[in-house]
Amino acid sequence: MSSTSTGHWAFDSWKMTQQVLDSYGFSHALTGEEAVQRQMCETRAREQQKMWWEKERTLGPGWYEDELEAGQNGFAGGFSMAAVTAVANGSSLKKLIRKGIPAQSRAKVWWSCSGAGKKEREAGEGYYANLLKLVEGKETVHTRQIDNDVHRTFPGHPWLDSEEGKTLLRRVLVAYSWRNPGVGYCQSMNYVTAFLLLVMRSEEHAFWMLATLLEDILYEDSYSGDLSGCHVETRVLGELLEKKLPRLAVLLEKLGCELALLCTEWFLCLFVKSLPPETTMRIWDVLFNEGAKVIFRVALALLKMNEANLLKTKSVGELIHLLQDATRHTYDRDELMKVAFEKLGSFPMKSILKQRRRQHPLVMAELQDRLRKHENKSS
Amino acid sequence: MRAASPAANLKVVLLGEGRVGKTSLLLRFAKDEFSDTQQATIQASFLSKKVLVDAETSVALSIWDTAGQERFHSLGPIYYRDADAALLVYDVTDKDSFDRVKSWVKELKKMAGRNIVLAIAGNKIDLDRQEELDLTEQTEYAESIGASHFTTSAKLNKGIDAVFQDLAKRALVSKRRAAAAAEAVESTLVPRRQGTLIIDERPKAPPKRSCCS
Repeated sequence: MSSTSTGHWAFDSWKMTQQVLDSYGFSHALTGEEAVQRQMCETRAREQQKMWWEKERTLGPGWYEDELEAGQNGFAGGFSMAAVTAVANGSSLKKLIRKGIPAQSRAKVWWSCSGAGKKEREAGEGYYANLLKLVEGKETVHTRQIDNDVHRTFPGHPWLDSEEGKTLLRRVLVAYSWRNPGVGYCQSMNYVTAFLLLVMRSEEHAFWMLATLLEDILYEDSYSGDLSGCHVETRVLGELLEKKLPRLAVLLEKLGCELALLCTEWFLCLFVKSLPPETTMRIWDVLFNEGAKVIFRVALALLKMNEANLLKTKSVGELIHLLQDATRHTYDRDELMKVAFEKLGSFPMKSILKQRRRQHPLVMAELQDRLRKHENKSS
Repeated sequence: MRAASPAANLKVVLLGEGRVGKTSLLLRFAKDEFSDTQQATIQASFLSKKVLVDAETSVALSIWDTAGQERFHSLGPIYYRDADAALLVYDVTDKDSFDRVKSWVKELKKMAGRNIVLAIAGNKIDLDRQEELDLTEQTEYAESIGASHFTTSAKLNKGIDAVFQDLAKRALVSKRRAAAAAEAVESTLVPRRQGTLIIDERPKAPPKRSCCS
């Protein structure tokens, strides 16, 4: 996996496209405009990188650790001057992370800011190695599903197609299915884990990042049982849509387009199947630092950026194709982040938590009701 | 001569266990593409294709592909709601995958519209090493629920056009029958309420679908 991008021009019947290999090993056919957008983002990323090196030079290699810790603990330690400074720095760190973590530092910053490092330390030494010993040679409903999916997780990617790639992906997923039997394995975790491996470049770190995501960051039960958590998040997004983009909410209602048709993949695959990889990584930078709220921001930003075109669509099919196509081509990651974090107004976590609490029983009732009907009528 | 516009837009939903080849069937049918390593489907998506049901009549099919893993079952209603037809896919080399077909049929019979047309496809016949494939149980089951049964291979492009043609033909009949029945009800209700007899013999245009053009 090289971090430099190489490209050559190819003639694609109607328009020139450029084959580009991104820093994660994925190949893209970019139009001229997309190539320019991407280039500008790369230039800004290099500027951004300088700021990180400057911090590292003056404050030391783990300079963000203290700030993160202070941010996570808030003012719990009292109103000492040191705490105040650390929290103030924490908010500047938040801004820096929103502008993108340099690719070279991504793995270690994620490891700290997500809490995965802490989780690993608390589990004690040898936890993962022991888990691997436990699962060796075992076959379960989850391992069978994992074996179905490993070779069809981003096929065509050079490393994921390799024996090493497939072996590590399988091992992390199987180990996790053992750690968390309530979730086991859910399709989509394969895509998320593949990306974690590509960034963390360590099987064990990818495992802990996955555990942190599912256990601490994302809303509970998003991947388990009947995906009830994902249903709750979809309804919360629906409420937000009504507030933030009311015209689009009206259109979806009019066309009879369920929001789940658009956003299931966003909540489960965390955009890795929807957006270009380099754009997804910018989102994950913030997701690991700020939490699941980020998914709502990005979802609404994608809808807002395409609102004018979406409003012209006349059918569910047309709307879905337009949105999927536009999303797949969101190469201007800076623009997406700008809309997500500066143009959607305030996003209090308190009201999201309140919405989740309100929607949860409704989702459970709906799922129960369906089960009951299914069983009653068929008996 | 201009091609006649489709007689109807029909919505078809693909259902079945993971990895039986739903996406591959669809891609072969709609785009004549095939890949041995098809990505696992998470977010359902759809493709459209026009099908000739006889010399003069064509219908436009919007075919929805879905995720196969059991826990995605809870998303099913979003896809089969309003569907005119469902294609239930299993893998002929994996007998367990047929259980999933039965479970979907059970659900569709209870929860989807009464008029939904069903077909069952035993896919991956290219992988079966037996000389004679014994699918008596599967075909008998299909018959018992009023579904047609086909064997297919997305890889070799076998049997696929036949499945969709059959679905299109039967779904069109079912849709027209339902429309005629609705019209009959309407014509008995309208005069009574208004006191005047309105006879409208123009054939009703198929109701415009609100989704999946």
